[in-house]
Formats: sequence, C-alpha cells, structure tokens
Amino acid sequence: MSWAQAILLARGLSRGWGGICGAALMGAPFSQVPLRVPRGLHCSAAAHNSDSWLVPPGPEPRKGPTKALTLHEELFQQAPEGARDKANFVRAVQNFGQHNVHKRGHVDFIYLALRKMREYGVERDLAVYNLLLDIFPKEVFRPRSIFQSMFIHYPRQQECGIAVLEQMESHGVMPNKETEFLLIQIFGRKSYPMLKYVRMKLWFSRFKNINPFPVPRDLPQDPLDLAKLGLRHMEPNLSATVTIYQMPSSKDSTGTADPTEPHIVGIQTPDQQAALAHHNPARPIFVEGPFSLWLRDKCVYYHILRADLLPPEEREVEEIPEEWNLHYPMQLDLDYGRSGWDDYEFDIHKVEEGPVFAICMAGAHDQATLAKWIQGLQETNPALAQIPVVFRLAGSTGELLASSSGLEEPPPPPPPPEGQEEEEDSQQRQQQGQS
Amino acid sequence: MATSGSMGVAALFLRRAVAARASRALVAFATSRRLLRTSPPSRAFAKELFLGKIEKKEVFPFPEVSQDELNEINQFVGPVEKFFTEEVDSERIDREGKIPKETLEKLKSLGLFGLQVPEEYGGLGLSNTMYARLGEIVGLDASIAVTLAAHQAIGLKGIILAGTKEQKAKYLPKLASGEHIAAFCLTEPSSGSDAASIKSRATLSEDKKHYILNGSKVWITNGGLANVFTVFAKTEVVDSDSSVKDKITAFIVERAFGGVTNGKPEDKLGIRGSNTCEVHFENTKVPIENVLGEVGGGFKVAMNILNSGRFSMGSTVAGMLKKLIEMTAAYACTRKQFNKNLSEFGLIQEKFALMAQKAYVMESMAYLTAGMLDQPGFPDCSIEAAMVKVFSSEGAWQCVSEALQILGGSGYVKDYPYERFLRDSRILLIFEGTNEILRMYIALTGLQHAGRVLTARIKELKRGNMTTIIETVGQRLRDSLGRTVDLGLTGKLGAVHPSVADSASKLEENVYYFGRTVETLLLRFGKTITEEQMILKRVANILINLYGMTAVLSRASHSIRVGIRNHDHEVLLANIFCAEAYYQNLFTLSQLDKHSPENLDEQIKKVSQQILEKQAYVCAHPLDRTS
Repeated sequence: MSWAQAILLARGLSRGWGGICGAALMGAPFSQVPLRVPRGLHCSAAAHNSDSWLVPPGPEPRKGPTKALTLHEELFQQAPEGARDKANFVRAVQNFGQHNVHKRGHVDFIYLALRKMREYGVERDLAVYNLLLDIFPKEVFRPRSIFQSMFIHYPRQQECGIAVLEQMESHGVMPNKETEFLLIQIFGRKSYPMLKYVRMKLWFSRFKNINPFPVPRDLPQDPLDLAKLGLRHMEPNLSATVTIYQMPSSKDSTGTADPTEPHIVGIQTPDQQAALAHHNPARPIFVEGPFSLWLRDKCVYYHILRADLLPPEEREVEEIPEEWNLHYPMQLDLDYGRSGWDDYEFDIHKVEEGPVFAICMAGAHDQATLAKWIQGLQETNPALAQIPVVFRLAGSTGELLASSSGLEEPPPPPPPPEGQEEEEDSQQRQQQGQS
Repeated sequence: MATSGSMGVAALFLRRAVAARASRALVAFATSRRLLRTSPPSRAFAKELFLGKIEKKEVFPFPEVSQDELNEINQFVGPVEKFFTEEVDSERIDREGKIPKETLEKLKSLGLFGLQVPEEYGGLGLSNTMYARLGEIVGLDASIAVTLAAHQAIGLKGIILAGTKEQKAKYLPKLASGEHIAAFCLTEPSSGSDAASIKSRATLSEDKKHYILNGSKVWITNGGLANVFTVFAKTEVVDSDSSVKDKITAFIVERAFGGVTNGKPEDKLGIRGSNTCEVHFENTKVPIENVLGEVGGGFKVAMNILNSGRFSMGSTVAGMLKKLIEMTAAYACTRKQFNKNLSEFGLIQEKFALMAQKAYVMESMAYLTAGMLDQPGFPDCSIEAAMVKVFSSEGAWQCVSEALQILGGSGYVKDYPYERFLRDSRILLIFEGTNEILRMYIALTGLQHAGRVLTARIKELKRGNMTTIIETVGQRLRDSLGRTVDLGLTGKLGAVHPSVADSASKLEENVYYFGRTVETLLLRFGKTITEEQMILKRVANILINLYGMTAVLSRASHSIRVGIRNHDHEVLLANIFCAEAYYQNLFTLSQLDKHSPENLDEQIKKVSQQILEKQAYVCAHPLDRTS
C-alpha cells in the first residue's frame, strides 16, 4: 500500500467512524473539516454536488485501476443515450456481475457506480444501494480472528463499503435490514462499515425530524411555486396571505421567465397590514434585499418592506381605554408594577428591530420590478400611497452577495432556475473561503 | 321591600348576642330597631378575604327572613310550584322550541314577570331573598327561567336601576304585568365583552328631540317577543375638555318606535324554548326622554345590570338539582343489578353525596348573597354574586353529568327528561358573562382592593425599608413553622357551632394563607397582574371555595343553633365540602408559588403556544416511525 493510499484510507476511515471523533483523532483530514461544517449548517443538501467526496475522483491517475475504470465506464455506456433511469442502472450493475464472475475490480466499479447514481436519478433509492453492496463477494472480507478485526481487514474494501453508506447518508437514505444483512455477510459484525451502519441507524432516526421547519423533499420546479413555498417557509403565521402580483408573462421550455415580466409573489399577514396602516407617513419605509434563502439545494432571493424602529420618545404607549371591558377591569389602579424577579422582558439576546410589513420574491431584483410589487401592495394597503418608499437594493446585501460580487454591482446573480449555476456559485464561494 | 334589612340588623344584634341562642325570636325585635342602623354599609366580605381577614358580621349569622315574610312567600310559592309541576310541559317546550301562549299567559297572571318591580309600579317588589326563593321553582324549566331572567333580571333591570320616575311610571307597570316583555340588547357580532367595539350608533336628530338608532344586536334573548328593549349604542359626547368622544349610551327602545326587526329564532342546543335571535335597528327614532341614565353613561348602566343579575342563578340551579336528585334517587332505588339496587353501590352513593353537597353549597351561597344584598344601603356584592354564578353553573354541569352517569342509557335518550337537563345546563357556564371572564372579574376586583390597602406596605418593601422587611420575613418564618391561625370563628363565643369548628379552622387557615399569597402576588406582579390570567383564575378559584366554605359554615351553624330539621345532615355536608375545598385550596395555593413543583404554568403556556402556532395538534401519530 502506498503512502497516498494509506492517507486516503485513514481519512476515509475517520469519516466512517462518524465524523466527530474521526476529525478529532486524525490530523490529516482536519484541515478540510471546518470548511465543510458551515455549509452543512447552512443547508445540509448543499453538499450534494460534492457528495461523492469519499469516492476518489474519476480521472485521478492511478496505476492499476485506470484501465479497469474505462472498462467499467463502458458498462454504463452500453445503455442507450437518453434513457438514464433505474432500469438501465440496474442493468449495468447486473452486467458487471455477469461479465465478471470473479468480481474483479468490483471496488472500482462500485466507486464508479456511486458517481453515476445522480446521473441516473437513483441516488435516493435504497434498493440500488443494496444492489451495489451486493456486488461485494460474501464472506471473503470477514475477519476470522481478533487480530484481523483489530488491524483493519481488507481496508480498501471496507473503505468502499463505507463510501456507499456515506453516500446514502448524504442523500438521507436510511439503511434497512437487508443492508445490515449484506454488511454482515460481507464484512462481518466487527467491521467499520458495520459500525457506520449502526451509527446511521442510531442518528438518522433522531435527526430525521430535527428540523422544526421541514422543507419538502422534492421542491417544485416552477419558480412561482418555489417562491410561494419559500414565502410560506419564512412566514409561519398561518393567517398570512400569499398574493401573486405578477404572473410570469412567458416561459420557454427551460422554465426561465421572460426577463421583462418576471413573477412577483408577496406575503403579508393581517397584523402586518394593520401595522402598515398605522405607520406614520412622515417616516419612509424601505424595500431591502435581495436576501438569500436556501431551500434544500436551491437558493431563492427575497425582498422585505420594512421601517426603522421608532425612537423611544416617539413610541406610542398603548393606552387602555377607560370603558372597555364590560365584565372586568383591564387595568388595576395601582402605582407599582412587576418586581425584578418576575420581569422577563429584559433579554440579553433580544434585539429590537423595526417592523417588517411584507415580504416578496420576484423573478428580477431591479427597482422597476419591485415598484410593481409596491403598487400591488397598495391595493390592500391604501396607507402605502402616502408613505415614501425608499429602495435600498444593494446596500444591505447578505454575505452571499458580498462575496460573490463587488459592491458596485447592484443586482445579484438572478436566482438560478436550475441547480447548475448556483453550484458554480457555491463552488466559487468555497474557493474564496479556502483562499 | 317590606322587610329588607331585617337580616342585617339581626346580624348586627346577633353579633353581640350570645351566639348559641335561637335567633328567630330576635328577628322581631331586631326589625323594630331597623331604623336605628345608620352606619355606612360595612366593607364587603369577599374583598376583605383578599387581605386575609374574615368580615364576620357580614356573613354570620346566616340571614333569615321573618315568619310573616316566610308565610307570605310560601303562600305565593305554592301555586307557582303547582303550576310548574302540573301544567308546564317542559318536553313540549323543548321539542317545539317555544313556550306556548297559554303557559306564558299563566306565568303573567301569576305575577312572575314583575317579581322585583317595586309595588308602586305594579310589581311584587320582592326582596332578593324572595326572588331567589322563587327562582328555585322557576328553575324547573330552564327555558322559562331564562325567558323570565332575560325579562326582569337584565331586560327591565336598567329601568329599575337607572330609570327616571317618568320612565319607571311609563314602562314598569306594563312590564310587570307581562303585557310588555323586555330584552337586553348589548352583544353585537363584533362585541362581546369589548365595549369599545360596539358598532351600533345613535345620532342626535337635527331638532335634538330624537336619537336615530342604527345597528344590529345578536343573541338577544326574548328578541322576538320583546316590546321594550334596553339598547346600548355609541353616541358622540362632548367631553369636559370639549373634545368629541364616542361613548356608550343606554336607551329604552319600544318596538313601536319603528325600524325594529328581528331575525328568526336561533336553533340552540339547550334552553330551546327561549327565544334568542338577532335584533336590528334601522333608523329607529328614540326620543331623548328614553335615554337611560346619562348620555354617555351607558357603560356603567350595563355593568350594573350585569353585576346585579347573577346571584339568582345559585338558587335556580339548586332548585333544578333538588328535583334531579329526587328523580335519580328513585331510579337508583328501583333499578336492580346483580340482585342489588343501584343505591347499594358505593360509586353510585358517592354521586348522590356529590349532588347533595353541591346543591347545599350553592343554595347557601345564593341565600347568603341574597341576604347581603337585602341589607340596607345598596351594598356592593358583585364579587359574591359572580362567585355564586360560577360555582352554581359549574356545579350544575358536573351534577347533571353525574346524574346521567347514574341513569346510564336512559339518561341519553329523549324519552326521559335527563338529556334535556344536560343540554339546558350547558348554557349556564356561558351566558351572563362566561365563567372565565367572571373569574377575572372576581380576582381582579379583589386584587384591586387588596392592592390599594397594601400600597404603603408594598412600597416600603420595594424601597427596602428594613423594619418592614424584617417584619415580613419574621411573619413568613412563623408561618412556615406552622402557626395556628385564629380569626375568631371558633372558640367559646365563636361565630360557628363547635360541630363545624374543625372546618372553621380550616377556613381560617386558608383565609390567612390566601391573604399572604395575595400579598406576595401583588409584590411580584403589581398592576401587571392583569396579564397573568392563569394566576388570576387560581385566585378566583380559591376565593370561590372560601366563600362557599363560609356560606355552609354560617348556614350549618345557624341550622344547629336554631334547630332546623335534619341539621345533622347539613353538618355532614358542610364538613365534607369544607375538607374538600380546604385541600383544593392548599393545592391551588401551592400552584401560586412561583417555584413549587405544582406550578406548571410555564410548560402549559409553551404547549399551547406551539399548538396555536401550528393551529393543530402537534404530536406525531403514535404509529409513526422514523426508520
């Protein structure tokens, strides 16, 4: 085993051990970990584009398996172009088994298949993962003695098994009994893939519903629907109404709207409406944005209509009318208030912010489009006609924009309708973060 | 008001008299001394409880009526009772959804439409006690009870309380005879307790002789029958600082004024025979003489009417419960299971004890309150009345439910009257101010009183006055070491009879610690306690229990001393209730402690917050899996 391989192996195993302790124990992969963590926090699904990181990149020059790789590549080429579906993927895998009775080069084939899974749209299919694991020859890699299991037995194969599980993990595929059965057959109970499996079983069920604001697994493709979803996601108040201020005028086949008439969707709650109606017309309100919102692997941009916080001296104290409640007094005529022990009003984490009156998502981020939104809002909020509206579109761009483009350029990259552009974007970010 | 006041004087006298002596003889003597009483009305009983004190002379001895008055009322009650048991067909009223004409006519001829209208205006001028007594019988049919209550407890009450001589002379005779029926129009689609959102409006006409009334009122009992309405509407009032403000004004509106229409009667769950509907006023011309009270003073009028009408629910419900006990007891003693009568099973016996206890307590509370109200000088007993209402409505619901439990299937079918009782009793918790709202009223009114009295003390504590602090800490220390509380109820010359002395000391202990808790609460929350509804509810619950305990102790002591029939049974009931209430109070008091394990407010608030945010039940299905 060469040095490079050994390091790769160590790195892979540390992942297999469950990331946390692995990162702490091993020095080598440590440098990469902090780079990935923040992205994971942002949106776990954002890691999709690099989900095969345990899988060695395809074109990596290797001595032995290079030939084999191209060979296996052909297995996938056999399928007629355009029919990249589960059936063909399964056929390719089965072909490998038939052509290769001795399962020679199965590790490389599995790595290749893992890379191909996204292409064939089977990356979330548990049966396919089980099929891949089934390629491994059974019983061969099982440690027979305590020493074998102590020193990693067949490390390359174990690493490959972990890679399969790892890819399952990043796609949120929960292994089942069959997976367990296969792993026991292939690697035995005391093996790293098995350890990984047990950990996945343990943590997956706990993490599955950890997000209190779940995003549907399959996001709508239509940007309009996606915008609605995003708005609902940001505004938990169920009485909020979503209004489509402008339908996209024409759509071409790729789903991108005509730039002249992009979609404009807004959301507003009755409370926000009331707050806007009571807003002092002497104080301007602002349209700010675009801010980014990640929904799984998609990024959408939104704008808010907000006002500054009133200075304390101008705030109206809510007065309780004298004759209000027919049945009981609304206020007591006492001149002492709450004692400090029961005063939970003060909170060091609480920051007072100005009110937000409405949120919108539009297909374009220029002032003309947003002005249409404000116009549309005026129908339900007549008070808006009297209030000066200031567009502050570039000033308050989020960190995403600051890093991706210069400050002089007001409009951010339009929200990519497909995942591709945005992948580039995130890669770009990643590079900037690394440099 | 022939003898109102006699009780109060009797109370005064008795306080000085040797407690154990029979009081009946004293009443006659006391009545002759009625005029001697000139002192201002003493402080109300319930408010003093908030300070940890028992205002004994308000509640001991139990109020009594003179023999003459009793004879008089019994003569009157007889025919009414006969009418209700023999002629009123409650089943038919419920089925048809209205009270038959002939029944209404008979009710009118019995004088039931003018029970509390003064005699000079053609009514019977009954005292509150007598009114409560009649309520017991009227309560046998809920639809009639509600119709009558809407007519005289709130409908025409405004005229009695706030009307001018002319208004009284003009309207009361016809209302008292039942020729005209009254209704109380306050609730609107957008406004229940919230007076600020009343949309009905009355504008002064150009000749300044009329108000033009416009608006819609909903859930008006008697709305379809009434000829005279007490209507609340907003009017423009010029304030003292010459600014124009919208204020509520009460009007007496006749149907004959024109523009008064009503919707079709609502189809209700219970009290189906009462007429409830929407009433619309469209450009109704109301002469300015028909303003009830002052222009802009409608809020106070409404509050007074609402507060005054509540106490009678206690006796009404008690009357209904007594009847229910008779009916279910007959069933339990005849129905056999396993060769045993139902009455021999412990779980059935328990239910009868509960019903009797509740009936006894609410009766005691109702008549104690009525007696207090009958004292001269218009004492303010609104807290007490609200407590009677809350206790009796909840007792009614609980007891009817238990009665249905005894009856099993027969309680659930329409062949028997029991399910009607259940449907009818549900409204009691809702109307005349929901029990939740009344609890707020009870707690906040009392806390306001206590807060004012304790202002100086609390301020000193907050300022850090050492002597006050040390005094308080010392007091708390003594309390925690288990001091015996003696508020003077028991003992040789105590207000209560030794048979219930144990219960009396329980009451004393509860009252004392309640006072301490109130002080702590005021110290903790001050005037912002209005936001702490869960705390207020507990305060009100304790107070209701305390008042109930006081009422039964007073009544039982009186019964023993006077030698009322079956007073030993009363002692049993009183002791049972007091013990139960005592432990309930202890629990509630510990819930009011901020750090006690019984206090689950924070968790409860969190749960409801999460539910209301999602507007759904939050938990996953029990069969859900994650893997």
